[in-house]
Amino acid sequence: MHAMSKDLWARLSTGLKVGAVAGLAALAGTAAIAPSPADAKGRFVFANESEYDTLDPHTVWDVGRVAVRLNLYDGLMRWQNNPPVLEHWLAESHTLSPDGGTYTFKLRKNAKFHDGTPVTAKDVVYSMERILALGKGAASQFKKVIEPGAAKALDAHTVEFKLKVPTQVFLWLTTEIHVVNSALVQKNEKDKDWGQAWLSKNVAGSGAFKLKQFDPAIGFVAERFPAHFKGWGAKYLDEIEFRAVKEVNTRVLGTIKGDFHGAGGYMTTDQLNKMKESGNVNILEEESMRIMLFFLHNQRAPLNDVNVRRAINYAFDYDGFNKNILGGLVQRNPTPVPGNLWGAPKDVGYSYDLDKAKAELAKAAAKIDRPLEIVFLSGFSQSEQAATLMQNGLQKVGIQSKVVGNPWPTVVDKVQKPDTAPDIVVYWISAYYADPHNWIGEMYHSGQWGTFKAASFYKNAKVDELLDKAMKSTVQAERAKHYEEAARIVTNDAAGVWIYNTKWYGPYRKEVKGISFSPIGSAQEMRTAWVE
Amino acid sequence: MKALVFIVSRLYRDRSAFLGALIILALVVVALAAPLLVSHPDAAWAMNPQVRLRPPGGEFLFGTDRMGGDIYARVIYGARITLTIAVVAVGVSLLIGVPVGLVAGFYGHWLGEVLMRVSDIFLAVPQIVLAIAIALTLGPSIENVILALSLTYWPWFTRLVYAETQSLKNEVFIEAAMALGVPPWRIIVTHILPNVASPIIVRTSIGMGFTILTAAALGFLGLGAPPPAPEWGRMISESREHLPDAWWYALAPGLAIFLVVMGFNLLGDGLRDILDPRIRRAQHGRG
Repeated sequence: MHAMSKDLWARLSTGLKVGAVAGLAALAGTAAIAPSPADAKGRFVFANESEYDTLDPHTVWDVGRVAVRLNLYDGLMRWQNNPPVLEHWLAESHTLSPDGGTYTFKLRKNAKFHDGTPVTAKDVVYSMERILALGKGAASQFKKVIEPGAAKALDAHTVEFKLKVPTQVFLWLTTEIHVVNSALVQKNEKDKDWGQAWLSKNVAGSGAFKLKQFDPAIGFVAERFPAHFKGWGAKYLDEIEFRAVKEVNTRVLGTIKGDFHGAGGYMTTDQLNKMKESGNVNILEEESMRIMLFFLHNQRAPLNDVNVRRAINYAFDYDGFNKNILGGLVQRNPTPVPGNLWGAPKDVGYSYDLDKAKAELAKAAAKIDRPLEIVFLSGFSQSEQAATLMQNGLQKVGIQSKVVGNPWPTVVDKVQKPDTAPDIVVYWISAYYADPHNWIGEMYHSGQWGTFKAASFYKNAKVDELLDKAMKSTVQAERAKHYEEAARIVTNDAAGVWIYNTKWYGPYRKEVKGISFSPIGSAQEMRTAWVE
Repeated sequence: MKALVFIVSRLYRDRSAFLGALIILALVVVALAAPLLVSHPDAAWAMNPQVRLRPPGGEFLFGTDRMGGDIYARVIYGARITLTIAVVAVGVSLLIGVPVGLVAGFYGHWLGEVLMRVSDIFLAVPQIVLAIAIALTLGPSIENVILALSLTYWPWFTRLVYAETQSLKNEVFIEAAMALGVPPWRIIVTHILPNVASPIIVRTSIGMGFTILTAAALGFLGLGAPPPAPEWGRMISESREHLPDAWWYALAPGLAIFLVVMGFNLLGDGLRDILDPRIRRAQHGRG
């Protein structure tokens, strides 16, 4: 209760601040003489759907705040382009020991931090230790493969990582080893906090943009860092601003008007069309991998009964949601692996069929003697609409349910433990790296319980075994076979209700050019963009 | 009975108050007869994505919403939620506020002071802010909205009754009753309460409108009944994403809120004119 009221005050104060800012922006917009901030040459303003509560690159691992990590920091590796390719970034090259257990990275010699000091191996080691010590963000995945102290600087530009178990997951995770300036952070450490307090409001990175201004209630402004190791094209942005604009209509209207150059959030067809029709906005379209699903609590009665779970799978109106409500922006995706990725089985899945749902319920041993709780993410209208449509379907087959909205941080908290996790909760799993492990591996291996990806608390020894095998192998054809088989079992067990895989639609003002998209990061890396 | 006939006959003569009474009567009838007014019993909850966001006309009198729900049926059933919230919340406020005001006003001294300071604390914070805080802490549901509104509205009655009781206490007829040895509770119930009834009735009518508006605001903020409850405030909130194209989405629930709140306010104004000669409007220009 205390936490909730704290949350309220935080929201109220943010609301007031955002309101004040919006008010000022509106004033600036009406004064004809003052140039709107978005019009200034070489300046790009992005309206983001969620807040930038921290700038620390090691404590978060989500899409909502990815702009900080992609623009102000650099990792050892980085996903680029679409379909995504894992490129060397701060690392120049890497080697893997024959046993698959030791990675050695050679660093670039020309990479510099924003204060001019070179990026060296000790900074990489410090960053790795910091991630493991703080235990947030991507740490849950790192901890499965590497122990503290396992990273060593062999010389100024060579780092070695000795893994607990030979696995290629580590290479994908190196994109999240955002290298911080260890000397600068250590100078600002307080009570051995690894500089957490300081780094939440300051930046000690080497990224293509250098922090200029930051306010947790508004967002951040950063200017071009000319000495970035990647170099710059003929055209570029001088300054970028990522602003938190929670209200979707404000994002839409602001982009149409020119207050923003681009907007984030999972927009609906109606909103995208509105922007397109204004004539000022291009909607960039890319193949992507982001699946939406209902997580069913596999350990709690009556959802621990496979027939009940199958009935729920038959009770959702997939076409009504995908085609009518979302206007066909999405692709039906009936399994826990995105259909456009290898490892997805082709001929399985459920359809909307109330008779089959009733038949499954008749077979079920468990009695549904209480209303099920369906949680959606408050503020995300798609999630709310999916939850209400699910409730409607369940009602038709005689299952009572109540729909409840929770903010994202609350959901992340609740799904850490089977006791507090909701019966049913609906959200998305985005691409954090382009491998089936990102989806089925992290979602349905029983060793993954405790993260928001594993909110189903699914446990099946055969699936665990297949997923482990897939992780050990390095031959893609073999891995694909294991993932397909695992996906078939998980789907047959109806561990969740998989709805769609989406394309990516990015609304950008027509004067914005050079946006480069990768499913990991949703085109928020601004290094290649410019404004005409 | 005579008083009732008096009120009704006066209301009939005051056209705006009469209109208010008619609107409220219509609201009550709609709420009670909701199942008879829609095509089938589930109409307010049925979703049919194939026909989402259809403009008014034909099968859907007021159009359809984003889930393909019938806005007409939802507005009709919304009347039930609205009326329940208003009646229960104001009722509970009356039950708390009036006795507290009577006791505080009649006895005065430290007990009265304590009671009034407590009500001052509630009055110090704007009602909507306090109601948001309570509703958010308890979680979104109709019961919690009612609780939030009751807890924040009773001090208005307390203030009113307190002031009236204090001035009545020094009237000769009360002093006479006390001198005759009538027990205090009896004085309060049989002599004071009937004399403060008029302002309470007026306040109740105006309070209903006010409470409906606040409940709609809570619903708009997502703190009211959880989806898919056909709550007017929530419907308007949902419609924002589809404005201005789907103008009908907000129109019907918006008009419903407007009419009902206006109805209660007109009736409240009219009742005040009839029951409280001291603050009568200078109507008809005849004095």
